[in-house]
Amino acid sequence: MAEIRVGKPDTKPDAPAHTKGINSGNEPGGIEAEPGLEYTGETGAGRPQTRSYARKSTGINPEKRNPIDPNSPNLPPA
Amino acid sequence: MAIREEVSPESRNIVEMSWDPITRIVGNLGIYTKIDFDNQEVVECKSTSSVFRGYSVFMKGKDPRDAHFITSRICGICGDNHAVCSVYAQNMAYGIAMPPLAEWIYNLGEAAEYMFDHTIFQDNLVFVDYCEQMVRETNPSLLERAEQTEAPNADIHGYRTIADIMRAFNPFTGEMYKEALNMSRITREMFCLMEGRHVHPSTIYPGGTGTVATPQVFTDYLSRLMRCLDFIKQAVPMNDDVFDFFYEALPGYEEVGRRRILLGCWSAFQNPDQCDYKYQNMAEWGRAAFVTPGIIVDGELLTTSLVDINLGIRILLGSSYYEDWQNEETFVTHDPLGNPVDKRHPWNQTTLPKPQKRELEGGNYSWVMSPRWYDQRTGDHLALDTGGGAIARLWATALAGLVDVGYVKATGDSVLINLPKTAGTPEMQFEWNIPQWSNAIERNRARIYFVAYSAAMAFHFIEKALALVHAGDTQVFQEFDVPDEAIGCGFHEAVRGVLSHHLVIRDGKIANYHPYPPTPWNGSPTDWYGTPGPYEDAVAGQPIFEENGPDNFKGIDIMRAVRSFDPCLPCGVHMYLGNGKVLERRHSPTLGIDVQ
Repeated sequence: MAEIRVGKPDTKPDAPAHTKGINSGNEPGGIEAEPGLEYTGETGAGRPQTRSYARKSTGINPEKRNPIDPNSPNLPPA
Repeated sequence: MAIREEVSPESRNIVEMSWDPITRIVGNLGIYTKIDFDNQEVVECKSTSSVFRGYSVFMKGKDPRDAHFITSRICGICGDNHAVCSVYAQNMAYGIAMPPLAEWIYNLGEAAEYMFDHTIFQDNLVFVDYCEQMVRETNPSLLERAEQTEAPNADIHGYRTIADIMRAFNPFTGEMYKEALNMSRITREMFCLMEGRHVHPSTIYPGGTGTVATPQVFTDYLSRLMRCLDFIKQAVPMNDDVFDFFYEALPGYEEVGRRRILLGCWSAFQNPDQCDYKYQNMAEWGRAAFVTPGIIVDGELLTTSLVDINLGIRILLGSSYYEDWQNEETFVTHDPLGNPVDKRHPWNQTTLPKPQKRELEGGNYSWVMSPRWYDQRTGDHLALDTGGGAIARLWATALAGLVDVGYVKATGDSVLINLPKTAGTPEMQFEWNIPQWSNAIERNRARIYFVAYSAAMAFHFIEKALALVHAGDTQVFQEFDVPDEAIGCGFHEAVRGVLSHHLVIRDGKIANYHPYPPTPWNGSPTDWYGTPGPYEDAVAGQPIFEENGPDNFKGIDIMRAVRSFDPCLPCGVHMYLGNGKVLERRHSPTLGIDVQ
């Protein structure tokens, strides 16, 4: 560093990333555990391709919320 | 707020004039000129910035997953461009490519940002320099002529004469001024639908987005986009009328802000069908982007390869308040393709701030460094500019001729933009032609064309996104592990031009991080080879058309030249007292060091 007068640090720069009890959202396994989403392969440039089902939106009788035709997509309300 | 000071007269009657800070831009920029009023010419120009940011200093040691949230705060108007660029760099470092729908959401957000920022800058800031009130004060005879000149596109925009258009640009009262503010609200709503919050996005992070992809979110965006089209269809011909009038009424006006054609564009709007974020394939997926990257020298497209662009970047000193880092650590000796990486490349830069007194004559005078691009053919370090972003993007895209999505087509010497029919206006096609010059007028003209370009592209992105939603492919996030050791680089276009983020990860933390936004390129001071920065270069030697003499000189032509670059130097405040009399000159470095 240059010859500059600076104060004494009172925290580590990466402190927020290591707060006990906080899970990292990026860690593999989280999406798999989420219901209602199926990996169907890879699309252009090796990107993941998926298909969502009603279970993604609701846990209450989700099988009744899917389209009658299995080839039809499920459009999640949110 | 010009400061005037007589300089010892030698052979010419030269007056020193400075504007510090320049208003109606983002941040703190000072322009110091020497003007020869007898010959109506700017003899010399220096551009300075008195603000030190230090992102590259305090990013070290931080968790790389925080990089986009932190670097977003670099700017209060294009923070999202930084966030997105940081995500690109992180995606490369983590070895992931987000799901295609996430990429379309990013593209839609960025398209809204270009529309928002270009419009608010053009109509609410730039056009104050071209409005009736300003022209009346600086060039009354020009206004008289404008009153008599019919607007060629009056049937489209409804303003009969050029003076009528200029009145519409008047701040706070003009119709266009007010309508542009309304537009900026709608486009920001569009942005927020995609990226959560403007201007520091809350739903943008490496691996994808938190935006919930429903048909509703895209139709909400689309309905707003349609409302914007009526404005854009009127604004483009209105801009053409005003700028063409300046060329016609003030012969020689093409020299204002003119410099050698040295333009850089780092690409925007990734194509998820091609882009895998792997450095090894960067040249190919860079060319597949919906704004083509490129370096244009004297009208010739030197390269469209992001790898060439990356390896050619050099950060020079010469007039900046930093110590050299030649003896500091080299973080990246070779890129993933095995090419050597220069010591002066951002991957290997170490920022060593050295606050000191400003010395405009032969000393250091700016916190901005001097980014240059090394031209292997000639060995020159080129002071590329971005021309405020839009002109470089359109120019590179036009010359490359790679973009063709129906709504937008690059022809090799122009860009065709097709806008669909809307409630108030019929279907329209605009063609941006490669101009003869890189000057103030053409930089400004390109800006409104790029608003149209972004709007047209947004239709393409919406169609692609809705197709995925309709197929049930609604995944928008990709998981990843943070590697212990990795490097990454992101190339994007901030609204006002090139943007790169270079990242080195060691022990899972940031070892080096260097964002290079457009203004270091445009606002750079003279480097150690003696090459002036683009503002300096564009203003020096330009003619003066203002009718006021030295006593009530506003410097309107210089302001038009500098503002055409869309300067953005966040963020500082200067104060000036008195009528040209300096009461006290004080140098206040931002860091804890005493300056004698």
